[in-house]
Amino acid sequence: MAETLLDIAMMHSDSLITRAREGDKNAQGKLVQLWYKRIYNFSYKFFFDHDMAMEVSQKTFISMHKNLAGLQEVTRFKSWLYTIAVNYCREEARKKKSSRSFSLHDLNPGEGEESYRWEESHHRSENPERLLRHSELSDLLQQCLMQLSAEQREVVIMKEYEGLKFREIAEALNISENTVKSRMYYGLDGLKKILEQKKITKETIGYEL
Amino acid sequence: MNYKPDESQLIAYLYGEVSEKEKEKLEIYFQQNPEELAKLRALGEVREIMAQAQDKEVIAPPVFVDDSGIRPLWQSSHFKVVMGVAASILFLLVAGKLLGPEINYSKGELRISFGKKTEPITQPANLTEQKVNELIEASLTKNNESQAAVRTEDQKKLMKSMLDFNSKKIDALAQSASLANQEQVRSFVAGLQEQNLKLMKDYFQLSAADQKKYMENLLVDFSGYLQEQRKQDLQFVQTKVNSLEKNNNQFKQETEQILTSLISNPGKKKNNY
Repeated sequence: MAETLLDIAMMHSDSLITRAREGDKNAQGKLVQLWYKRIYNFSYKFFFDHDMAMEVSQKTFISMHKNLAGLQEVTRFKSWLYTIAVNYCREEARKKKSSRSFSLHDLNPGEGEESYRWEESHHRSENPERLLRHSELSDLLQQCLMQLSAEQREVVIMKEYEGLKFREIAEALNISENTVKSRMYYGLDGLKKILEQKKITKETIGYEL
Repeated sequence: MNYKPDESQLIAYLYGEVSEKEKEKLEIYFQQNPEELAKLRALGEVREIMAQAQDKEVIAPPVFVDDSGIRPLWQSSHFKVVMGVAASILFLLVAGKLLGPEINYSKGELRISFGKKTEPITQPANLTEQKVNELIEASLTKNNESQAAVRTEDQKKLMKSMLDFNSKKIDALAQSASLANQEQVRSFVAGLQEQNLKLMKDYFQLSAADQKKYMENLLVDFSGYLQEQRKQDLQFVQTKVNSLEKNNNQFKQETEQILTSLISNPGKKKNNY
């Protein structure tokens, strides 16, 4: 995964976290700007739902703002933030299970300017056909991901898309590192079977793209 | 060598999160068990495929923060309280200076006053209760006397004015009655009689004219009615005569028809029976 300026800034945000922890509102605002996309994408991959991802992201950062002063070690900020996000994801999942509802976007995502999918796209200068294929492939892979159990899914997302170390995932989920690795192994194995069922291979993806 | 790595070790190798020593052991294991390596490579391919899922772009919501983070002294709550108390004290001092308040405590009485001190009204010491009663009585007697004098004077004036008014009225009446003689009375009565007579005559004349007019109208109406009646009777008679004539003609025609039928079919009657 190519590192962007944002990623580099996230890696070196210790002083920012320290200032934010001491109550610097400006530093807290910058932290939100740095981490919002990551937490949103983590939540989006967990739910495959824009509205729920937005809900979880907002709750996570409100909680961060309230509880940052209690963070003991600055180096653990990343896993601490993901712990909050995972807890809200689980909470929302429980709510969703008890009251099944559909977003209007899910029922009819729309194709025009009103579609949030359009808003999400920042690469408008790229080839639209290619973008569409990428988007379709992303949705297809996202559907595969949704077939995993929640436990395996959260580990796979944290490792594969959020780039956390096994130790950080173990801290975030409050489980042993071996359990994380085991879930990851079976998660990938499960995905392999799902991809085979859907006949998605490296070759077919290459042809599609 | 009985080394067999578990899933956690295999996945750590896949992500490159193993120590050098562990890595060597695993590589030896893979050389001996190429099928395990193939399995792991298949998982690596899954990773490559899954990496195609792109991130969604999202804009972080704006976070409103104050730039400095330090509040000026005059905005702190303590400063505001202290300033409030100081302002109140200053206000009291200024008000005190302007109004000149005075606070006294004497004989169990707390007195707060503003402005100049006014002396309480003191009663003269030599005025006793008896003297006050005497003064009141003297004042009352004097008042009663003056009241009585005014009343008698008013009564006198009233009586005098009443007597003057009544005598004048009676005198005028007697004078007017004595002036009227016999001749005037007669002429007045004659005038009255004449007036009555004229009134009666007018009444009768008016009544006779009305009756005449009414009778004329009645006669005209009656004659009109008679003429109308006559006309209707004549019309009735005319229609009756026409009807009779019609019936007569019809009867005549029928009779002719019967006769012609009898004449034209003399033997037919027998065949019917």
